This record gives sequence, structure tokens and C-alpha cells, in this order.
Amino acid sequence: MKAKEKLIEEFKVPPPTPTAPQKATSVVGVSKRFGKTSVLENITFDVAEGEALVLLGASGSGKTTILRIIAGLEQPYTGKVILHGREVTELPARERGVGVIFQSYALFPKMTVEKNIGYGLRIRKRKRKVIRETVNELLTLVQLEEHRKKYPSQLSGGQQQRVAIARTLAYKPEVLLFDEPFGALDTQTRKRLRREIRELLRKVNVPAIFITHDQEEALELGDRVAVINKGHIEQIGTPFEIYTHPATEYVATFLGAANVLEAVVRNSGLEFGKTRIAAEFDRERFKEGTCVKIVFRPEDVFLSKSEFVKPGQHKLSTAVIEEISFVGAYERVRLRLEKNGGDECATDDQFFLTTDTPESQSVKSIIATRPKPEATSTRLRVRERVVVSITSFTVLPSSETK
Amino acid sequence: MAMSTLVPTMRHVRGFDVVRPLSIGMLVFMMMPLVFLPLASIFIFGTSNGLDKFWAALTAPEAVFALKLSMATSFWATIFNVLFGLFAAYVLSRYNFWGRNALIVTISLPTAIPTAVAGFALLLLWGPYGTLGRFLAPQGIQVMFTAGAIILANVFVTFPLAFGVIKPVFDTMSRSLEEASATIGATRWQTFWHVTLPSLRGAIVSGALLTFARAVGEFGSTILVSGNLAGHTQTAPLYIFAKFNEGQIEAANAIAIVLALFSFLIFSVLFFARDWLDVD
Repeated sequence: MKAKEKLIEEFKVPPPTPTAPQKATSVVGVSKRFGKTSVLENITFDVAEGEALVLLGASGSGKTTILRIIAGLEQPYTGKVILHGREVTELPARERGVGVIFQSYALFPKMTVEKNIGYGLRIRKRKRKVIRETVNELLTLVQLEEHRKKYPSQLSGGQQQRVAIARTLAYKPEVLLFDEPFGALDTQTRKRLRREIRELLRKVNVPAIFITHDQEEALELGDRVAVINKGHIEQIGTPFEIYTHPATEYVATFLGAANVLEAVVRNSGLEFGKTRIAAEFDRERFKEGTCVKIVFRPEDVFLSKSEFVKPGQHKLSTAVIEEISFVGAYERVRLRLEKNGGDECATDDQFFLTTDTPESQSVKSIIATRPKPEATSTRLRVRERVVVSITSFTVLPSSETK
Repeated sequence: MAMSTLVPTMRHVRGFDVVRPLSIGMLVFMMMPLVFLPLASIFIFGTSNGLDKFWAALTAPEAVFALKLSMATSFWATIFNVLFGLFAAYVLSRYNFWGRNALIVTISLPTAIPTAVAGFALLLLWGPYGTLGRFLAPQGIQVMFTAGAIILANVFVTFPLAFGVIKPVFDTMSRSLEEASATIGATRWQTFWHVTLPSLRGAIVSGALLTFARAVGEFGSTILVSGNLAGHTQTAPLYIFAKFNEGQIEAANAIAIVLALFSFLIFSVLFFARDWLDVD
């Protein structure tokens, strides 16, 4: 009888498909409301096997709610959660088999390190020998063999985090969910732990979803990053993609520093004031006469004392240097851009500086950074007038047209 | 001028803080007639006729019975109230519902009610002519004037004690511990047993000791509901009262010593075992 059942069961299991990378975790059209306020709108993303995805967003953006919905600690209003092809939306947290590393690690205070790690197997009623062996393996993996008899309160933050990870790895989780994993640690420890976790994840090959508000952390940790703003995904892509080609102004400004200028599409080109920027952009999307935003990074700004512009650089305008500060590896320059007329698209007046002189009224501040060699070879002084050009930029729709 | 220099020198004599020994001495002096001397007189009078007299009074069958009955009834009342307190604390700190605060107030009420009123209320409910008792009496079920009645009275007057100790611990307990346990795969019961309960150990022990100590000494409600029948429903405090009324001071005194020592022991445990109870 038993053999027969086993046969049937084996028969039912579909043959594994080696083609197409398996989706380890899928979130499909998830939305969430607390009362009348909508906190998540139509969240959809996949995490591939062995991939690390970072949900990046400011506090209150809803990123933690996404994590809790995947873990089963919160129910979505609409949408589905799929783990390795199995829909788990209706399942309680304990039947999902996800590993959550809580912000405060949530180690059980009255259990030793090894008891904590073995907890998942103990409640699954595994044999003692199996538990002991798994716990030993995991202790070696996270390098905590000599701390096995200690209680969580006797460990450092980093060690506690490793215990928390080992505790979830013990039951072979479908996906690891990290809730602000480095929030409570100092910068030095944070950097070291980031590397450690990346290494560990590569070793165990478990897909992971991180939650953070720290953009540097997001870029370093994630194979892909999803930028969350006010309950929806602004952009999802590799760190390089979202940094160099931000899809929205929010992404551009949230992920590192960005300068934003208004321009208008005219004569199949971009016009900033009276300056014409001959550059490629999506002409289908941005029609003649529409207002657009030019977004560029401080490191993409080139300052020169002459009018000469190198190939690949787009001259913007002249500017007066307002402030120069040294920030260790590079020099940071704040400039007052002198815009020569054409104010029809200047909607965002929060950047305007109010000064008494009439000619400097339509003026904006931008930030440029210069690497040390350049800063030392071409010395600049405050109040000096320079020519500003940019090497790379992104064209985005003006918020008014949206 | 002379005063202003004099006062500081009185407070500090060559670096010696005069206020310190003065205030400590004052404290002890004030406690003397209020606490120390009454307690001391129990021991002085109880043993003044010799230890063998004291021992004889203590081992008198009725005295032994009274002590045993007190311990047994208090024990069961404690068991019930700790379990109930755990359950009530769990419900009232985990769930927010309409009438939650009303329930909390109701649970806490018995401490504010005079014990005689509590006993009287129980009589009116369970007594032979009481609201419920009148239906039970024809079936031959007698609740009042039994050991069960003493337990009921003990449960009533110690109702909020364990709850009051356990609930704050529940309130401050991080929810993420239980959530972590759930995501690891534990059922609610497993989470409660392995994660929640160990964190409550200290609160449970001190709640139980408090309840027990209070129940052992209960007098006002017990004398109304028990019937105060020597050798049957007479608890230790009732025995003291009865013997005192009969003029048998030694007999009353012997039990009084035992009860005093007993509560002293319980509070020493509560005080000195704090660290042990909350050990991490």
C-alpha cells in the first residue's frame, strides 16, 4: 500500500524543466490598504533563483509591508505571492517556509545560539542526530562554533545577525527576507557585514530580498534594485541601470545626488534657455514643444574656464562658483547657473535663488563633483565664472505633463 | 553670617555626611512600633512558655488541619488564578476589542472590594438561598461552608494579582519574537510554549507567590463562606481568631508564628530571587 502511494506520488511530480531560470519568488499585483489609506498599489516583481533583490525606499514607502506580505505576516488586499511556483497567498506564515531576518534579529532570548539555530528543526520534530549535525554545519558556516553555548544577549550585533541567518537556513527557506538588516549597526560594521552576507548568500544560493533606505547599501547588495515610492515601484533594474538611467525624477534624486533642470523640446533637440543641447533622446515620447527635465549626476558635470567643449560634452551655460568643499576623495562645487532666457518651462521654482540683482533672478544652483586630479590641475575659486557642460544625462517628463 | 556658615558644617563634618546616618536611624525608629515590634511580640509571646509548649500547640490536630487546609485551598486558588491570569493577559494584550478596558477594570476590581463584601457576595450567589445556590440545594449540592467555598473566596480576592504581574511583561514583549517563531514554522501553541512562556517565567513565579501569600492570609471572606468549623472548614487565620476568642493565646500564637515566617519566606524569595527569575 505504502509503495503504491509512493509510486503515484512520484508520478505526479512533473519533470524538472532545466530551461528558463526558475522564479523563486513572485509578487503579482499586490496592493494593500489600512482602512481607507492605500499603502501598496499593484506591486509586481520576480526574484530569480539565487538572486538578491533590494527594495529601496524612504520610511513609510511601504517596503516593509511588501516584506511582511511575502512572509505571511500581513494579508494583501489584492494580488498573489508565489514561492517556487506554489501560490502561498492564503497560507499562514508558518506554512510558507520563508526565512525572515528581522531588523532586531528577534533571537529567542532564553535559548542559546545552538538552540536558536536548531529551533526550526526541533519544532519540525526532526531526529536529534539530524538536528545536531545541521546545527554544527551552520555554526561552521556562520563561524560561530565557539559561541554555541552563549545567549543572544552575550553576542555582538553582527554575531546576532549571523545566528538569525543560520536559524532560517536550518529549515532550507524558499527565500530569505532581510528587514533593514544593518539599521542598528555602525558604518564600519555595516560595510563588513554587507560583504559577509553577500558571500554567504553566494555560498548557500538562496534567493534574498533586502529592505533598506540606504542607497549605497542597495547598490552594493542587490543584483537588482526596486525603488519604492509611496506604495508603488518607481523602477526596477540592476544597480547600474537605475543609477545611470533613472526612470523617474524620484529615482534620480533618491539614488545619489542629482541635478534637475527644466528644458523644452524644440527643433528636434533640447533647449535649455537659449542653449541647444544636441543629444539623442526618445522623440516618440517627448514631442515638440513639451517641457522636459534634464537629470544629471554631479560627477557628470564638467567645468572649464574656456568655451572649448570636448566631444561627448554638452555645453549648458556659464555659472558662478558659490562654494567649494573638499569631501575626501573628491571636490564638491556648488554653482549658480546663469540661464539665458526662455523661462517657459521653469515650473519647479524651489531651486530658484532669490537675489537682489535683476540679472541673476532666473538662476539655479547645481552641484558638481570633480575628482582629485582634476581639482588639483585646474584650480577654481569662489565667485569665479566657469563654463558648465555635462557628459551624460537623462531626459524625463516634466512633472506638470504627468 | 554665623548661621550660614554653621549650617553647612553641621551637614558635613569633615567630609562625613551627617544626614545619612540620621535619616537611616529615623527610618528604623519609625518602623519600630509600626512593624518590627508587633512581629517581634509574636515570637516573644509564642515561645515564652517554652519551646515544648509551643510545639504542642503547633501539633494539635486542629492546628495542623487548619494549616493544611490553608495550604491546600491557597494552592488550588493559585493554580487557577495563574492560569487564568496568563490567559487573560494574553487575550487582553494581544487583541484590541470593544470593551477591552472594561474587562481590565473588572479583573482588577476584586482588590478594591472589602474582603467581607466579597465573601458576602459569594454567599448571596452560592448559598442555600442564593441566586444559583437555591437551584443546587435541592440536588443536594452544597457549595458554601466547604473547602470548595474557601477556594472560591481565595480565587475571588486574589483574582487580579497574577494577571497584574504577567500582563505588563506581555505588553512589553516584542511581537517580532512571536512573528519570527511563526515564520520559522511554529504553530501558535509551539510559539507559546517555546518562546512566549520562557520569557514569562519570572512573572509567573512572582505572580504565583503573591497570590499564594495573599490567599494563605485571607480572613474576611473566608470566615463568611467557610462556616468556620474546626477540623473541617477552619483555615489557619480563622483558627488564630477562634483560639484567641477562646482565650487560648498560646495556640493562636503558634499558628501566627508559622504564618508570619511563611510570608517572610515568600517575600524573601520574591526579593532576592529577582535576578534568578529574570535570568537571560
